[in-house]
Amino acid sequence: MKQESEWEPKLVGFLCKWCSYAGADLAGTSRRKYPANIRIIKVPCSGRIEPLFLLKALRLGFDGVLVSGCHPGECHYQTGNYRARRRIAITKKFLEWVGIEPQRIQASWVSASEGGKFVDIVTEVTTGLKIVGPNQLFSQERDGDGTEATARG
Amino acid sequence: MEQRLRHEAKALLEQGKVDWIIGFEPGSLKFTTTPLITNDKNDADRLVINPFIVNNLANFLTEVKGRVGIVAKGCDSRSIVSLIQDNKVLRESVVILGVPCLGIIDLSKIERLVTKDRNELDDIIREGDKVVIRVDGEKKEFPTTQALFDNCLACEFPTPQEYDILLGEPKPAAPNLAQSRENIEKLEGMSPGERWDFWKNELNRCIRCYACRNVCPACFCQRCFVEETEPQWVLPVPRWQDNLIFQIVRNIHVAGRCTDCGECQRVCPVNIPLRSLAREMYDLVDELFHFKAGMDKDARSLMTHYEEKEAEEFFR
Repeated sequence: MKQESEWEPKLVGFLCKWCSYAGADLAGTSRRKYPANIRIIKVPCSGRIEPLFLLKALRLGFDGVLVSGCHPGECHYQTGNYRARRRIAITKKFLEWVGIEPQRIQASWVSASEGGKFVDIVTEVTTGLKIVGPNQLFSQERDGDGTEATARG
Repeated sequence: MEQRLRHEAKALLEQGKVDWIIGFEPGSLKFTTTPLITNDKNDADRLVINPFIVNNLANFLTEVKGRVGIVAKGCDSRSIVSLIQDNKVLRESVVILGVPCLGIIDLSKIERLVTKDRNELDDIIREGDKVVIRVDGEKKEFPTTQALFDNCLACEFPTPQEYDILLGEPKPAAPNLAQSRENIEKLEGMSPGERWDFWKNELNRCIRCYACRNVCPACFCQRCFVEETEPQWVLPVPRWQDNLIFQIVRNIHVAGRCTDCGECQRVCPVNIPLRSLAREMYDLVDELFHFKAGMDKDARSLMTHYEEKEAEEFFR
């Protein structure tokens, strides 16, 4: 494992195709710089995001997960993000109760015109994860090096 | 109550109002009952109601075809309503024989109380708020709070929420939340890291028999995510990491359908305190969305509706 000083958190982002993904695109085309720690997965709607996705990402060794969709009332499919909101709220609270640090599960609303907001959020989340430290939740020993957790998908 | 149930069940079958009756009959072991699913009116005489009718029979509703008469305690009736909300069961095709429930006796608690195996006990009787155990010619009395299942102690709705025939007088609720939440409160006092270690340690024992899932009336997916292979979300072998993901995601999936009937914990062969997970989710759903599962058959289920403004504090 890398030295603590070199360690960079790895973050997976599930972005809705209509708003947040376009927002991230806008950040790119406007030449705004955001941390390269995020790996983006495009989903058709935030309502597509299953709590299992978040757990799987953490199981694979990602340090955090960002879920992002259209603002309430602006869903391309009318109600997808409202449904996502209930699901994500429950997931966040429940995972916190089971013992996963709340900083690892993040959610936001980013519209297609909010490239700046997207940059800010990714920066904040990355900084937050640096404070929380590497994800060793699923490693064989909690204070081990975490190789086991990432060994297989 | 038992006589009336037998009478009603027989009448329902004779008049052709139902094709099947789902109830309880005496089990093969002492102080146990076992589900009875029958279409023969003569079997109605085998039906029993006693403080040992543990199973949540709503679980069988999705599997039995035709019109069904079903014996339901308070929590079971909520599971049935929850299935109706999800369109898994039609209200017209079930006749609910409601049992106002006094709480179910947890035999493992009894065994611990008298430090004897259940086979050595002569009798267990419920008298008011006492449980009387006769063993070796002696009579031992315990308050019901020591003898009932944890979820029964917290029961808010002992009388069925939805019924066609109520077998007995409605029973007022007397939830004893403090006692039923003992383990949960212990966990709440821990740091997140300690809680994670607790669950890691508990789920280490899990043998992935899926009894908790199979017994759960809210877990009605035809194909469970744990059995999917493309992609393979979790490995089928029992490793604590995958066991824990299975339990976490299972609880998220049944959020808003779980009625805290406690079946998952009861059936666990390795005694994992699964109810602590389920109850926390139950309380969470109530706290966030003021929703209790299975209360009103005409209400929409939790995950299929929403309010314009809610849960915004979780989003940046």
